[in-house]
Amino acid sequence: MHLVITIAMNAILGMTFALLYSAGLITLGAAAFWGIGAYTSVLLVMKLGLSFWLALPLSAMVSGGAALMLGTIIVRSPRLAFLILTLLINCVLVEGLGGIEALGGWAGIMCVPKPNPIPVPFHTPIEFVDKVPYYYLILFLLLLTVVTFYAFYTSRIGRVWRAIKLNPSLAQSLGIYPYKYQLLAFVIASTFAGLAGSFYAHYFQMVTPETFSVLKSIHIQIYAILGGLNFYVMGPVIGSIIFTLVPEYLRIAKEVEPVITGAVLILLVLFLPNGLAGIAGRFRRLASIFAH
Amino acid sequence: MALLEIRSLSKYFGGLAALYQLDLDVFESEILGLIGPNGAGKTTVFNVVTGSLLPTNGQVIFRGENITGLRPDQTVQRGIARTFQASTLFMQLPVFDNVFIGFHRNYMVGAWQAWLHTSVVRKEEEAAKQRAMEILEFTGLAPLKDELAGNLPHGYQRVLGICIALATNPKLLLLDEPATGMNPGETLIMIDLFRQLRNRGITVVVVEHNMKVVMSLCDRITVLNYGKKIAEGLPEEIRGNKEVIEAYLGRKEA
Repeated sequence: MHLVITIAMNAILGMTFALLYSAGLITLGAAAFWGIGAYTSVLLVMKLGLSFWLALPLSAMVSGGAALMLGTIIVRSPRLAFLILTLLINCVLVEGLGGIEALGGWAGIMCVPKPNPIPVPFHTPIEFVDKVPYYYLILFLLLLTVVTFYAFYTSRIGRVWRAIKLNPSLAQSLGIYPYKYQLLAFVIASTFAGLAGSFYAHYFQMVTPETFSVLKSIHIQIYAILGGLNFYVMGPVIGSIIFTLVPEYLRIAKEVEPVITGAVLILLVLFLPNGLAGIAGRFRRLASIFAH
Repeated sequence: MALLEIRSLSKYFGGLAALYQLDLDVFESEILGLIGPNGAGKTTVFNVVTGSLLPTNGQVIFRGENITGLRPDQTVQRGIARTFQASTLFMQLPVFDNVFIGFHRNYMVGAWQAWLHTSVVRKEEEAAKQRAMEILEFTGLAPLKDELAGNLPHGYQRVLGICIALATNPKLLLLDEPATGMNPGETLIMIDLFRQLRNRGITVVVVEHNMKVVMSLCDRITVLNYGKKIAEGLPEEIRGNKEVIEAYLGRKEA
């Protein structure tokens, strides 16, 4: 159950990476906005006494707002510069959170309260005692993400993103101002990452700066790539399933884990550029050869 | 007043003057040929007019508005479209999608409604699809509409490039060597296509090396060399112009 919940959450994060990729942006800072959502939610609930249900959307918006502010500066950069800048943001965030004692420093914040019980008419309120309510919540969030992203992908905005990704200068000569649309993608992706962050904080009931490190950003990248970079919805789900389960079952020591992560990423790029979902496509093509 | 006025336009790359105090007018509904040896600055003119390059000096005035220094997406909005020398297409997308993207601007609804796919959006998309098909039919590419752009033979790719430019509903169309790599039959079709564009009210400027195309198609011709205008006038005048011949063929050794 815990695994399913984690997989669902990682799938959301993977999808945010895929969204950015669909607009031609590759980010190494996804975990940063996940973290902003998490810490914001914790602060809203613990320091301001807000209900989780209010903190959830608010944290998402704070993440989005942060993305808007940072994005206006960095989205204009060429792809490599953008990549490095997102990496930088992630590092700075982790270090910053660790350094601020008011936010718990490196030890983080413990005892984050669970979500408030949901009142249900003619029924006892739904309490977040065991994992089951969390399960439904994250599934709902995942569904929300899928539906929202899908709506974007199939709309005019999605077409513009595809154009920007495939050929930015041609897109510009067609009247598309890439910066505007890429900033939009950045804000949307970060908003949903923040949403996942808020969920995370109140599920694990603690937040530490190290959780939101660049390593997690790379994991997020793997969720998206492993499943297939051209499959913006199914890909991250598949990738998240595999890459969340595998480390759990292998129980690798924490020191070795980054090495494994790096190795996986390199192997992926070399051998599976279309991810696992792409393999299905290859089989189809092979099969059609035999069909003749 | 000319549709497009270029005033004293200069563009330096380091110490090299790609364009030097160029004055050029393009009049409405004409087909202007822009010729000159390689490196004369013809593509640079296009790049500066559309905004891909910033000029070092000078002005570009389109329909009375100073558009110098605007971004390419901004000049397109004002009605200037261009094609590229190399086949610049969305190679991984089908022909129809390539043209359809050009219509992204013409929607009146904002992002919210686009996201929600309201019926207004759907109607506008239908209208845009129809206009995209019209363009494809106009240029004869309609049967290929589902073919990936990257799979098309070179000649068709060039035509697709023109279709994409047409999707932006331009008043001024800048064509950069459209006939390159085409056989005589295709070239004739293309000339006819450009004449029909003019009939629809689109002003055309053609950069071209194929003299047959230039001479038969263009109302006026401007000749550039080393970033400067060396001749301008009717095709017959240009044909016999000594300086033009020298520019292309080099001076005859005495």
